[in-house]
Amino acid sequence: MTSVRSALDGLPAQSSPVDGAPEADVTVAPSSFDEVGAILDTASEHHLRTLIWGGGTHQGYGGRLDPVVVLSTAGLDRVVDFQPEDLTVTVEAGVRVSDLEDLLAGHNLTAALPETPGNASVGGVVSAGISGWRRARYGPTRERLLEVNLVTGDGRQVRGGGRVVKNVTGFDLPRLATGSFGSLGVIVQVCLKLWPLPSARGCVTVADGDAALAAAYRPQAVIECDGTTRVYLGGTPEEVEGQSAALGADPVEGWDWPEDPAGEVQWSLRVPPALLRTAIKEVRGKYSYQAALGVGELRMAGDEGDVSALRTWAESVGGALVLVDGPPGLYERIDPWGTPPPSLSIQNRIVQRFDPVRILNPGRLPGGL
Amino acid sequence: MTLTAELRDILGHDRVLSEPLERWVYGMDSGVVRGDAQLVAFPETTAEVAAIVRVARHYRTPIVARGAGTGLAGGAIPTQPGLVVVLTKMNSVEIDEANATAWVGPGVINLDLSKQTEPHGFHFAPDPSSQSACTIGGNIANNSGGPHCLAEGSTVGHVLAVELVTADGDVVMLGGPAPDPIGLDLRGVVVGSEGTLGIITKALVRLTPNPPDVRTLLTGFASVEDAAATVSGIIARGVVPAALEMMDQRMTQAVERFVSAGFPTDAAAVLLAEVVGLSAAVEAEAAIISEVARENNATTLRVAADESERAKLWLGRKSAFGAVAQAAPDYYLHDTVVPRTKLVETMTRVYEIADRHGITMLNVFHAGDGNLHPLMAFDSEEEGMLDRVKAAARELVEVCVQVGGALSGEHGIGIEKRDLMKLVFNEADLDAQARIREAFDPAQALNPDKILPAGSRCFDLGRPPLEGMWV
Ligand SMILES: Cc1cc2nc3c(=O)[nH]c(=O)nc-3n(C[C@H](O)[C@H](O)[C@H](O)COP(=O)(O)OP(=O)(O)OC[C@H]3O[C@@H](n4cnc5c(N)ncnc54)[C@H](O)[C@@H]3O)c2cc1C
Ligand SMILES: Cc1cc2nc3c(=O)[nH]c(=O)nc-3n(C[C@H](O)[C@H](O)[C@H](O)COP(=O)(O)OP(=O)(O)OC[C@H]3O[C@@H](n4cnc5c(N)ncnc54)[C@H](O)[C@@H]3O)c2cc1C
Repeated sequence: MTSVRSALDGLPAQSSPVDGAPEADVTVAPSSFDEVGAILDTASEHHLRTLIWGGGTHQGYGGRLDPVVVLSTAGLDRVVDFQPEDLTVTVEAGVRVSDLEDLLAGHNLTAALPETPGNASVGGVVSAGISGWRRARYGPTRERLLEVNLVTGDGRQVRGGGRVVKNVTGFDLPRLATGSFGSLGVIVQVCLKLWPLPSARGCVTVADGDAALAAAYRPQAVIECDGTTRVYLGGTPEEVEGQSAALGADPVEGWDWPEDPAGEVQWSLRVPPALLRTAIKEVRGKYSYQAALGVGELRMAGDEGDVSALRTWAESVGGALVLVDGPPGLYERIDPWGTPPPSLSIQNRIVQRFDPVRILNPGRLPGGL
Repeated sequence: MTLTAELRDILGHDRVLSEPLERWVYGMDSGVVRGDAQLVAFPETTAEVAAIVRVARHYRTPIVARGAGTGLAGGAIPTQPGLVVVLTKMNSVEIDEANATAWVGPGVINLDLSKQTEPHGFHFAPDPSSQSACTIGGNIANNSGGPHCLAEGSTVGHVLAVELVTADGDVVMLGGPAPDPIGLDLRGVVVGSEGTLGIITKALVRLTPNPPDVRTLLTGFASVEDAAATVSGIIARGVVPAALEMMDQRMTQAVERFVSAGFPTDAAAVLLAEVVGLSAAVEAEAAIISEVARENNATTLRVAADESERAKLWLGRKSAFGAVAQAAPDYYLHDTVVPRTKLVETMTRVYEIADRHGITMLNVFHAGDGNLHPLMAFDSEEEGMLDRVKAAARELVEVCVQVGGALSGEHGIGIEKRDLMKLVFNEADLDAQARIREAFDPAQALNPDKILPAGSRCFDLGRPPLEGMWV
């Protein structure tokens, strides 16, 4: 057995530290699945805690991870297989969401990933299980993941799903990987299902968002930001005309998506959609917020206020209040996830079978997994 | 005590069957494989299901969940002498109109759910052709699809939560009514797990608003190529119809003899397309579809004039298998997926395989998804016929895999395609799937022998768990 030091020195694909990442003994930026496999094989042999770094836009867990190795996915940046006519694209995990959407838009297509992604990578978005606003129309990101390539915590290269739009061939690894926060492995490549980008796009500001949701017939999104509600429309020109007529307003051309709410502490409040109105009443005036009507998600930002009553209520109705970002000290006072789900022991058994030594992002899942 | 006696203690005498005829009936589903049902139990509550699982485990008897038995991959049959747990008596429906969801028992029949939610302005989007018989539990376990899953996605996109009785007889809720439940998405893994990870005793399903307007178009073509080019052309124009179904000439002829739906029997291929939404939008999209069909030399082009004509066209589509059953003593229905762009190439090779084996082949399928359903009609009494059918079926799957396809789009793997899994997955991939199963049911008490080929779990891959880690 080699010493930890020589194991670290022997890791392939070493690079200079990534901007913004916590300090680590070594930073690696592998550019092939084999390199990722070799790194994780060594890391699991020597119990080296490894932090996976995508775009680093939302590593919101300051202080909780104290990595020995930072594994950047920046070198995994290829578009592997783009099939516009099949409405599928296969990309490596480090591809920027914005670059992917630019490429797709050139073919009048979209993956409907988050609309204001900043530097976010496809792998980071999938790993965090994050969806764009247009989930109101196209469903969440996990509905778009057709195939996943994963390198497990102990370096095994594993593939699940397939590059076809409909598939029931075995257990659904792509869905399991979505939202897994690196606990199963490094997502190295994904195949996504695409949608045509609507040829006509428009926005309408309305007074009553709930009524608009009922009238517009499946708009792209209805978003209430700090009291102002906008309906995002898309489709054929006739569809957008029909939808805006139903709303009794003329649309402004194009989509103008809101940037994340500003504030030191960021939360994601998730409740059954019909209870979103109640949630808005609780939050309004205390936090800056954006609510996805019809979906049941509310993103809010503000100071460290006391959220315990809000969290208790959200959990009592089957939802959650999740800490997305905040100062390091906050994570010591409050669990970012709240009460863990009842299936925790099964989740633990799965994680243990994918990352047996538990080196990848340990502690990032609910319940400290 | 015996298992039979203990089950009767829990369920009463009448809800446990063990007579030879009953065992024979529950020893098969709608596929071609026979199983061995020793006992058949009909629970009415989650607590009863949990109790059944615990006693069956005590007697080391394999447990197989069953809905209506319309599955085609042998998913619901015990491969070893086992206990069949039939969920059809658990069929409550509780509609939550404000959230557009419903809590349903696993035994609710698919079409009944849509009928019950219709007055509230909703339906359950996944609509397998077997929808008048199959259960929601079976749909979830198989991640079933249907014609209208092109735009709406398969069952998994319509299930928010499942209540599961685990292999230990515990009851656990996976998922929930709010978006993005925290933690690993176990709900997503249980959907499509074919009864191997637990028994679904309740589910929260998403309901889809009934569209304000709908147009259904029937188009006929002189060649399969023209029809397939129309499918690609429609999607390339930015239209994803609610449904896009294809039938070949043999199939339309069989259907016409059976129900006279009004399909042109002289066309080599027929496309049934449906668009839904606001009136202005469906008009525009129907116009695009017509235009693309004309560009591709459509020989027939008709928009259903009213609801009764539309219903007739769909009846024709959904009676396809029944029509074949009328014409041939036996049929073997296949289910594979290929990339949409490989449809024509694949179809040509599929016909060639059938011809070479001297088998009558008919096709009706979800063209928009690239989901093929080649159907072989035959007479099993004919010497050596079944072997030829099986050989052709295997070749057919191999062809689909070669062009980048998958083993199944909606019917599942079950026992039928279990050993074909190696065509699409390598040792490490299968091992990863086996690990998921092991995390739920290490003893393989639930539906053993299904989905994964024997020996999938390779204990020499990867590292052993860290000492002291909780298991
Ligand atoms: C709890 C939580 C809730 C969030 N909610 C929202 C939201 O509602 N809306 C929104 O727009 N954004 C949200 N975000 C931010 C979201 O994480 C980012 O949009 C996206 O993940 C950033 O991508 P990135 O490439 O910058 O990833 P990073 O910020 O670098 O990483 C995000 C997480 O994914 C892991 N990771 C990154 N790449 C991989 C990979 N290839 N394989 C495995 N794991 C990987 C990281 O270790 C880290 O845990 C949320 C974040 C968290 C933590
Ligand atoms: C004529 C015909 C047409 C068909 N058309 C389609 C189609 O268009 N699309 C499609 O997808 N399928 C189709 N099928 C296949 C079949 O109808 C579906 O797979 C259906 O979802 C099975 O439901 P079921 O209730 O009959 O389940 P069963 O056949 O009883 O069981 C199927 C599987 O689900 C498991 N299971 C059942 N209930 C539960 C439960 N409560 N908990 C855990 N596991 C459970 C069983 O163990 C088994 O593995 C068709 C079948 C026929 C005969």
